[in-house]
Amino acid sequence: MAELHPHETSRGPAGPEHPIDAGSQALSEALRGSFGIVKVVMVLLVLVFLGSGIFTVGQQERAIKLRLGKAVGQGEKALLGPGLHWSFPYPIEEYVKVSVSGVKRVSSSVGWYAVTPEQELSGQLPLAGATLNPAVDGYALTADNNIIHTRATLTYHISEPVRYIFNFVNASNAIQLALDNALLYAAARYPVDEALTRDVAGFREMVRKRVTELVEGQDLGIVVEDCLVQSRPPRQLEDAFNNVLRAEVTRSKVLNEARSHENQVLSKASADAQSRVNTAESDRARLVAEISSRAEQFQELLPQYQANPDLFVQQRLTETLGRVLTNAQDKIFLTEGADGKSKELRLLLNREAPKKTEEPKS
Amino acid sequence: MKKNPLTLAVGILLILIVGLLLFVFQVRQSEVAVVTTFGKATRPITDAGPHWKWPWPIQKVYKFDQRVQNFTEDKLTEGLTQDSFNLLTSVYVGWKITDPTAFFPRFAGGDDPIVEAERVLERTVANAKAAVVGQHPLSDFLSPGQHNQFAAIEEEILGIVRRDVQANDYGLEIEFLGIKKLGLPENVTQSVFERMTSERQVLISKSQFEGEAEAQKIRSEADRKAAETLANAEGQATQIRGKAEAEAAKYLAVFQQNPELANFIFRLNALEGSLKDRSILIFDQHTPPFDLFRGGFGAKPSTR
Repeated sequence: MAELHPHETSRGPAGPEHPIDAGSQALSEALRGSFGIVKVVMVLLVLVFLGSGIFTVGQQERAIKLRLGKAVGQGEKALLGPGLHWSFPYPIEEYVKVSVSGVKRVSSSVGWYAVTPEQELSGQLPLAGATLNPAVDGYALTADNNIIHTRATLTYHISEPVRYIFNFVNASNAIQLALDNALLYAAARYPVDEALTRDVAGFREMVRKRVTELVEGQDLGIVVEDCLVQSRPPRQLEDAFNNVLRAEVTRSKVLNEARSHENQVLSKASADAQSRVNTAESDRARLVAEISSRAEQFQELLPQYQANPDLFVQQRLTETLGRVLTNAQDKIFLTEGADGKSKELRLLLNREAPKKTEEPKS
Repeated sequence: MKKNPLTLAVGILLILIVGLLLFVFQVRQSEVAVVTTFGKATRPITDAGPHWKWPWPIQKVYKFDQRVQNFTEDKLTEGLTQDSFNLLTSVYVGWKITDPTAFFPRFAGGDDPIVEAERVLERTVANAKAAVVGQHPLSDFLSPGQHNQFAAIEEEILGIVRRDVQANDYGLEIEFLGIKKLGLPENVTQSVFERMTSERQVLISKSQFEGEAEAQKIRSEADRKAAETLANAEGQATQIRGKAEAEAAKYLAVFQQNPELANFIFRLNALEGSLKDRSILIFDQHTPPFDLFRGGFGAKPSTR
């Protein structure tokens, strides 16, 4: 606004000094009109200039204001939260936006063979030559001097945006380099089978631990969230490795068979053992019960016997024989011949049939 | 034309602004700068904010990014380990400009001082690597557990590079250094593959053999255990039977009152028990009660 007043005041006296012909009056009118436009334009320009300093900070962002190149505020206080903000336009103030809460990721393929995104998507392997050219195909060397392929993806978030932005030209590149290094480091300490099959989790953990150490040591101002590691044998040795896996499977099959045999044998044995004990137990009960009942019977019979042993014996014998004869299926009575000898009797035993057949001969 | 005070103020303001633009420069948080007087570096500036200078052509300001730069060796360099293995290595370095007055005269000549500096760094790093790799056997790089010197080797290289950078006064500082790639010459990889294949063979036969052996062990162990269990049970059963005998023996005293009678009863019971069913009896006339047929008691013999 201030710039506009001088024109107004200087023009004031100019009018009456020069008596006017129609032409110059028209010119002065025109000039006055254009000065008016200039005034408005200048006001607008100033407003636009100041207004260009308005900026918004998103939910996932923080901003840092630099006044004459120096950050306003120290450390965390320098961070402007989400919302509308204003700074003087350059060169007095500037602002830098940083995205913070989004999870960022870097991937390391330093240990992976060369593969195009199309191949990666379709899941097919690029053709493998007999050798690996270290300039093209990445790989890692293991603790037992073998070659494996391994790659990793690291997710992290920025915990100290000021550091992340103002201390590193390319912080995410630095993180990727640390991840590359961590993969090589872990592989160099793990024998091939541990890294690929037996201790995949341990391998992963070592990569994670190493990369965390590195980024902390380098003060990158980030927090590692997760680290995914994928490893595989060289394509050239695919079959050899698969055969080992197959052998392992066969082995566990053989072992499982043996274990099921073990279960079978043991459970049968313990069942048999139990039944033997049970049989013995019931034999014992029977024997004892029998003998005790005999003893009782004996006690009862003893007085009778003592009264007349012969009669008793005869009585019992006959009685028993009577019972036996009633039960017997067949009874054969041999009469005595004239010579006082019993007749001969021949038996034909049929082994096949359960029933015996007999044929009295006379 | 009369000067209005406001016009005057605006004029002064404009002159001030032009003057400030000429005499003041600002250094950003992420930068360091050096002020040169007639082309000679005279004043380093490491604090962010506004600073004074004489206008061009007396003084000039050169600003440099002072953040940590990542430098990565493009190529793998080959080096012999102590035990004569050919090892390819490449490393990455994080470095930054710390002393702009020392940095400026050395590197600001070219188009991009950062690229110039990295060219020098590349040589320094290559020398340091060559010196360190040759002092370690391969097993220092690659081995499980405590013996692994991976991190220590990186420290050694870093130490040498740092010493070199300091001795030459490049105005740089090395923040970190790490191995980015480890490799073997291409023709060696094939023999590694061959070795790995034979290792796989060994593993296959080992797991076959071990599997069979272990299965055999499990089976025989199971059989042994089963036999043992049965034998134990047999022993227990015998014991139980023995106990039964002992209990039965207690009744012996009862029978001893009259052994003859006892014998008789036992025999009767045995007889009855053995002829319980499906038996065929054959008698002659002497057997009671068939002796009746002989007319033992005066009855008439009769036949059936």
